[in-house]
Amino acid sequence: MAEKTYLQAISDGLRTEMRRDQRVFIIGEDVGAYGGAFKVTQGFQEEFGPWRVLDAPLSETAIVGGATGAALMGMRPVAEMQFADFVSCAWDHLVTVAAKQRWRAGTPVPIVLRLPSGGGFAGGPFHSQNPESSFAHIPGLKCVCPSTPEDAKGLIIAAIEDPNPVLFFEHKHLYRRIKGEVPDERYVTPIGEARIHSEGTNVTLVTWGAMVHTAAEAAEQIPDLSVEIIDLRTILPWDKQAVLASVRKTSKVIVLHEDTHTGGFGAEIAATIAEEAFEDLDAPPRRITAPDTPVPFTPALEQAFIPQVADVVAGLRALAEY
Amino acid sequence: MEFARVAEPSGSLQEVKGWGLDHEDLLGIYRNLLITRGVEERGHILFKQGKIPGSFYTGRGNEGSSVAIATAMGPDDVGTPLHRNMGVHVTRGVEPWRIFANFMGRADGPAKGRDGNMHMADSRLGMISMVSHLPAMLPVAVGCALAFRIKEERRVAVTWFGEGASSRGDTHEGMNFAGVRKLPVVFICDNNQWAYSTPTHLEYAVDHLADRAAAYGFEGVLVDGTDLLAVYREAKRAIEKARDGGGPTLIESLTLRMEGHAVHDDASYVPKELFEQWAERDPVERYRRWMRDEVGMTDEEEDEITVQVKKLLNDALQRAEDSPMPDPATLLDGVYATADDLDTPHLK
Amino acid sequence: MATGTIVDVVMPQMGVSVSEGTITKWLKSVGETVAPDETLLEISTDKVDTEVPSPAGGVLTEILVQEGETVTVGTVLARIGEAAAEAPAPAAAPPQAEPAQPPAPAVEPEAVEAPIPVEMPEPVEAAAPQANGHDDEHTFVSPVVARIAAEHGIDPAAIAGTGKGGRVTKKDILAVVESGAAPAATPAPAPPAAEAIPEPPPASPPPPAPAPAAPPAQPAPAAARPAEHGESLEPMSAMRRGIAEHMRRSLDTAAHVTSAIEVDMSKVVAIREKLKGDYVSSYGVNPTYLAFIARATVETLRDWPWVNGELRDGSIVTHSYVNLGFAVSLEEGKGLIVPVVKNAEGLNLLGMARAIADVAARARSKKLNPDDVTGGTFTITNPGSFGTFMGTPVISQPQSGILGTYAVVKRPWVIQDEAGQDAIAIRPIMNLTLTYDHRLVDGAYGAQFLRDLAHRLETWSEADY
Repeated sequence: MAEKTYLQAISDGLRTEMRRDQRVFIIGEDVGAYGGAFKVTQGFQEEFGPWRVLDAPLSETAIVGGATGAALMGMRPVAEMQFADFVSCAWDHLVTVAAKQRWRAGTPVPIVLRLPSGGGFAGGPFHSQNPESSFAHIPGLKCVCPSTPEDAKGLIIAAIEDPNPVLFFEHKHLYRRIKGEVPDERYVTPIGEARIHSEGTNVTLVTWGAMVHTAAEAAEQIPDLSVEIIDLRTILPWDKQAVLASVRKTSKVIVLHEDTHTGGFGAEIAATIAEEAFEDLDAPPRRITAPDTPVPFTPALEQAFIPQVADVVAGLRALAEY
Repeated sequence: MEFARVAEPSGSLQEVKGWGLDHEDLLGIYRNLLITRGVEERGHILFKQGKIPGSFYTGRGNEGSSVAIATAMGPDDVGTPLHRNMGVHVTRGVEPWRIFANFMGRADGPAKGRDGNMHMADSRLGMISMVSHLPAMLPVAVGCALAFRIKEERRVAVTWFGEGASSRGDTHEGMNFAGVRKLPVVFICDNNQWAYSTPTHLEYAVDHLADRAAAYGFEGVLVDGTDLLAVYREAKRAIEKARDGGGPTLIESLTLRMEGHAVHDDASYVPKELFEQWAERDPVERYRRWMRDEVGMTDEEEDEITVQVKKLLNDALQRAEDSPMPDPATLLDGVYATADDLDTPHLK
Repeated sequence: MATGTIVDVVMPQMGVSVSEGTITKWLKSVGETVAPDETLLEISTDKVDTEVPSPAGGVLTEILVQEGETVTVGTVLARIGEAAAEAPAPAAAPPQAEPAQPPAPAVEPEAVEAPIPVEMPEPVEAAAPQANGHDDEHTFVSPVVARIAAEHGIDPAAIAGTGKGGRVTKKDILAVVESGAAPAATPAPAPPAAEAIPEPPPASPPPPAPAPAAPPAQPAPAAARPAEHGESLEPMSAMRRGIAEHMRRSLDTAAHVTSAIEVDMSKVVAIREKLKGDYVSSYGVNPTYLAFIARATVETLRDWPWVNGELRDGSIVTHSYVNLGFAVSLEEGKGLIVPVVKNAEGLNLLGMARAIADVAARARSKKLNPDDVTGGTFTITNPGSFGTFMGTPVISQPQSGILGTYAVVKRPWVIQDEAGQDAIAIRPIMNLTLTYDHRLVDGAYGAQFLRDLAHRLETWSEADY
């Protein structure tokens, strides 16, 4: 057990699988000699060689399409998008080919797509997005959004082990900011299981990714309110039962996400709660999200865009008083 | 400016025998040609009988090229044939009744009714099922070749795309990556001169699409797609070169799409003279004549194959029509793979 | 209203051809007070979607036809009784001292129709539940409070709420449950033994009450053919069905004949240009070509009354008035409604322009009243706004004619100059068609109507306002 950053935990998980399974290889832009734009794969090429840590041309389509083909031939590719935003260039291969291949043709596509996502550091409209809800709508894909170093390692291993295309949303703002104890040995964090980040009785707060930390800070500022924070950890599939159980206990729920409002995954969660836990509700389910705009660049605007601790505090108070 | 090599027409029996094709192989090719054409002709009838949902696409005019390339592939090689490549499925060993079942959306089609037409592939026979987003399968084939390279397997991926699909970015990204990494992949451009209704001069500005190979750092070859044996020779050469670490080849196989884009399209935009001109180069008839003239295929041999194929297709139709519709209760099955699914033959 | 009087709310006749209507929404529930003319429900027919005002003030005592149901015109939909304060209400919630009897699942556990727990006793004031932001919010009972109240036989209205606006929160009602001092509703259903704090029920919560099944508005077709591959099915709206039925019936009824005439609109164009600014600035209305045509049509119909007439039971009916219908397309060309300008013979050009603008706007915003779509004697349709130059519209039954107006197009036109010499001029020309029922209107009669109408338009003078 050692304290690791979120980024180190991802590297740790990747290295564990690379060492364990010859079929695993890494492909992406600048992932080899340079070690990745965020240095997640630093030192990997030295250890595993140029054919297991492949620097690809600037070709997201070829990277994801190629990973799909290699997976069909028995490999376990881990492809990196330099920024999650660039997955738009590979949308077709992910959604048209990889997601549907098992259902349509019977051939599984075990690929992992690493997607450095999220804002908070003036990345602007094309280096800050959280596109997970777009993919949560696609049957055949899985979407993972860890918030802690321990989960990041366990979930990257689970993603590689999974026989389906898994999108691994790793939040850039957590890379070096968040540290935690990470077991040294190999372990798997199950995809589809939420984690109770903190127990509480008054209000349930459902969130994932970087917003877990925003939520925790907000809850600390309201000691008189007992907030149960649920870290979904994966949003496709998502742990409906954990959320419904908590809502049945507290009867009040907020869904918090960094993605924009309309059609964000919070809408799916709120709708499910309304459908399946209506008679347990003591207040309308609420959402705290980014507004429906692109992600702004300059910090003053970006702070207005990304839900802040104060926004969550206000939301919690309002719901508590309802 | 032209960069691609223009392939010689096919030659004598002596030359062909030098490639390792014996008399039985050559008769087998003829049989596969007749099956390919017969499956599509009967597909037309099934469609008009209302037995095929959706639309129906054929590769008439492309039978020779498809059969030739599939014949040149090794048993462990993989391919991503498209909707004009019936000959590949037939030659790789997909039984016609399963193709008919797929047309009709039956449970026994390779796609089990979940996808139609030529959106099917038997992975056990080394094929990967196409999608409609042409040429999306091209980077996938490049990925297969990458896997072969990483695992140092002597296998080759073959991928087909039309001249229409050559305009999309997938083609560029796939070829570029394959060129950079010298991957064992052969790109077959079925240039049938019409992207639905769009003629070639509105699709590309180079003389030949095969010329583009030079830009990716590998060889381009232009071949008459109605000359089955010439296509075979070039495909064999490219596949074995790739197998030996020589990297990709782009083969442009020139044909004419002899029918509309799909059954609903009368192709009235194609000049009549063009159809007449290419009808004289019909690949099936051309090969049959060669077999008669050069190989000495006898009346008995020809009749036997014709009768065999006819019976095969009649039985296949019957068996396909007997195949049940898929059970709607199974709709939700298999959206996600389980660990057991990975234990399939193609993942060896 | 007089004490003891019960007033029926009936399905209104939404047009001559309308035989039925569908209830889309009740805006009041049983026990609520309704003022005279206050909107009580919303209905949909093949002609219009509209609100229905209450025929009387009082308390809504019964709803006899549920949302989604289609019934024939004249069917009693609901009853309005006297105001609650004046007399005991037969079915409404009793006064506050005695909360309404809650559902009694303990008595009839297997009765599937038993209301689910969320159907709590109506709040005393019987005000519409408000979910947020209003002063009367304390009457809102949240789903979980409703469930706990039902489980423990508690009347939430008798609890002092601490929530927003005095709302009874889950915490409030749990405190009452735990104290054992439940202000029980009578008779209390047997609460589950030893269950002080409501746990999530072991089984899944009861399903929501099934929505009342809507009887099909039309007899179901013998065997509905499912969508083929590549096809999609969507149900016909009431309006679509109505249009389909009416169009077919009209063609089966009338002997449709169409005649056309070309009209030189130079004068109209010139006068319109002159009037336009003034009309828009002073009256906020655009003097459209349609207004000119409508005005000229009304005048011409006076001379050719059969075009404005109808055949009824073997008699020829003529009218001293012109109720002029205008075909208005809805929703991107999907859907059609024909609002009627009544007594159009009493309107000058300005009045006509305003009336047309008014009915068209109300048609598109679904604000037409039933009367607005009935009683037409002649109809104008204006496909020319899309540039068409000819058409054969279908007569709106039971009328005898429909005028089609088409695009005004500049065309070379042979005229006679002052010297009586032929010359070619550029003129704004418009085609008009009259489609008429040949059972009543003969070709010569219809043609003369068209000739006179064209003449009126071609010789329009400012005095014709």
